[in-house]
Amino acid sequence: METIWTWCCDVLRNPQWFYLITTAAKLVLVFAVILAFVVLSVWIERRVAGWIQDRPGPNRAGLPLFLLRPFGSKEKQPLSKLLQFFGCPPDGIIARLCRWLRLDREIPTFGLMQPCLDGGKLFLKQEITPKYVRTIYFIMAPMLVLGPPLVAAAVVPFASGVDTHFGHISMCVANLDIGPLWVFAVSGLSVYGLTLAGWSSNSKYPFLGGLRATAQFISYEVAMGLSVIPLLMVYGTLNLQEIVQCQADSGWTLLPLWGEGMSLQRWVLFLPLAISFLMFATCIFAEANRTPFDMAECETDLVGGYHTEYSSMKFASFFMGEYAAMVIGSAMVVTLFLGGWSIGFGVDAWLADCSEWLAVLCQFIMFLIKLLAFIFFFVWVRWTLPRFRWDQVMKLCWLVFIELAVVNIALTAVILYFVH
Amino acid sequence: MDLAISAIIFYVLAAAALLSAVGVVALRNPVSCALSMALCFGFVAAIFFGMGASFIGIAQIIIYAGAVLVLFLFIIMMLDVKQEEPVSGSHWFCITGVVMAGMLAGIFCTATLRLPGATGGRCPVRVLVENLGEMNLGNKSQTTPPASPASYGGALPALCPEKHGSSDARLLGENLFSHYSITFAVLGFALLAGAVGAVALGRKLHRD
Repeated sequence: METIWTWCCDVLRNPQWFYLITTAAKLVLVFAVILAFVVLSVWIERRVAGWIQDRPGPNRAGLPLFLLRPFGSKEKQPLSKLLQFFGCPPDGIIARLCRWLRLDREIPTFGLMQPCLDGGKLFLKQEITPKYVRTIYFIMAPMLVLGPPLVAAAVVPFASGVDTHFGHISMCVANLDIGPLWVFAVSGLSVYGLTLAGWSSNSKYPFLGGLRATAQFISYEVAMGLSVIPLLMVYGTLNLQEIVQCQADSGWTLLPLWGEGMSLQRWVLFLPLAISFLMFATCIFAEANRTPFDMAECETDLVGGYHTEYSSMKFASFFMGEYAAMVIGSAMVVTLFLGGWSIGFGVDAWLADCSEWLAVLCQFIMFLIKLLAFIFFFVWVRWTLPRFRWDQVMKLCWLVFIELAVVNIALTAVILYFVH
Repeated sequence: MDLAISAIIFYVLAAAALLSAVGVVALRNPVSCALSMALCFGFVAAIFFGMGASFIGIAQIIIYAGAVLVLFLFIIMMLDVKQEEPVSGSHWFCITGVVMAGMLAGIFCTATLRLPGATGGRCPVRVLVENLGEMNLGNKSQTTPPASPASYGGALPALCPEKHGSSDARLLGENLFSHYSITFAVLGFALLAGAVGAVALGRKLHRD
C-alpha cells in the first residue's frame, strides 16, 4: 500500500505525467458533461415547447414499477405497502398526492427518461443507406457534424485553477492563448459535414439544404468573428481563462457591478459590449442552425434538409451534433459575456481564500447553472419566433451585422482612446 | 539516433501533409481533391501548432480550411463537376509543366538550404522559436543583439504545452501594424480591388 502511494506520488511529481493525467481527467469530465447536456437540452427543448404551447410535453416516461417484479417484489402496488408501513391512511391526502404523482405505477423522472428512450429507439432502428448515395461521404458526413463541437469544447474554462503540491491545474482542458479563435475554427469545420451530407445524398432537397447550410454558416462566421472584437479589445487577451478571471475581478461583461466595474469608463464601454452581445448571440443561433435561422432543414420547403436521406444512428448523429453545437455556443456566450464560471460580487476570491477546491466546485456548479439558463433562452427563442425567409437571413448578415460590427469596433476604439 | 517526440511528430505530420498534397493532384473526383486539400491545410496547421505558432495555425484553419476551401467545395458541387476528363495533352504541355515545377522546386530548395544554420539537417528556425518567449514585447529593449548566424540552427524545438504564450499573436500583430503597416494597407486595397472587379464581372448587364 505504502509503495503504491509513493509510486503514485512519484508519477505525479513528474511534470509531464502530471500534465497528461490531469488533462485526461479533465477531458473525460468535459466530454461527459457535454453529452449529458445534449440529452438534457433535448429534454428542456421538449418540456419548454410543451409549456409554451400550453401542453404537458413528455412527462410520463418514468421507470414502471413492474420492472421490480423479477427482483422479488411480489406486491402489485409497492406504494400501498409503503403507505401502510408509515401508517398513512390509504385515501388520505398523502396517498392521493402520491397517486396524483403516479407513484403507484412508476418511479417519476419528469420525462427525463424520454431522450434516453428516444436514443435507444434510434439505435435499434433499421439502418437504411439508399443505393444512389456516394457511400464514403455519406458515412463521413455525420461524423464531421458531431465531432467538431466536442473538440471545440476543449478551451472552454469551467472553473478557475487549483494549486496542488504537484503543480497548478487550470480547470480547462487546453488553456490555449487563442481560445475564441479555436472555438470558431473548429466549430466552423462542421460545415463540411453539412455540405457533404447534402451533396452525397444525391437527391434534390438534401442538396438544396446543404447549399443553404454552407452559405449561411460561412456568412455568419464572418459576422461572429467581427462581433467579438470589441470585447477582445476591452480585455486585451485571447485567453478565455484570463477573460473570465478579469470578469470575476471586475464585473461580468454585461453586469459590471463590483470591483473596477463600477467606474464610469466601464459603463461607457457597456454600449458597444451590449451591441456585441446581441450580435454574437444571434450569430450563435445562426451557426447552430436553430429556428429562426434553420433554413437548412426547413420542413416546409426542403422536406428535412440535408439529413432527409439519413436514418437511425446516422440521423441521431446529426441531431446530437446540432444540440452539441447549441451547448458549445451557449458555453461561449456564457464565458465571454456572462462571466463564465465566476460567481460574482467578489465571492470567488472569498471562496478561494477558504479552500480552492471548494471554490472550484462552486464555480463549476455556477457555470452549469448559467449554461442551463442560456440553453433555456435558446429554446425559448425557438418556440417564440417564426422562421425567417432565406433572403432575410442573408440580408441580416451581410447588410446589417457586418456593417454594425465594423462600426462597433470603431466605436470601441474611440472610447478606449479617450478613456485611457 | 535520438529523436525527440516533437521531431517525430513533425516528420509524421510533414509526411502526411505531403501525401495529402499529392492527393489533391492525383485523385480523380474533384470533391475528393478538395477534401484532400482541406486535410493538407489541417496538417500544415498542426505543424504550426507544434512549432508554437498557434495563432498562425488557427488562422490557417479558420481562413483556408474553414472558409476558402468550403467555397471551393460549394462551387464544385453547384457546378456538379463529374469525373475529371483524362488529359490528352501534347508533349509540349508536359514538358512545360515539368520545367515550371522543377524551377519552383529549385527556388524553394535553394532558399531553404541558404538559410543560416541549415547545415547538417538542422532546423533553421529554432532560434526564433526559442526566443519567442523572451522577446521583450512593447518594451524598448528590442536591441538585444541577434544570435550569430552559426547558432541559428539546431535540433527541432521540443514541445512545451504550457510555455507557448500569446506572444505569437502579439508578435505578429505588432509587426503587422508597425513595421509592415503600409504593406498591409496596400495589400488590403489590392484585395478590395479584386472584390470590386469580381462584383463588376458578376453583375448582370441590363440590356434595353
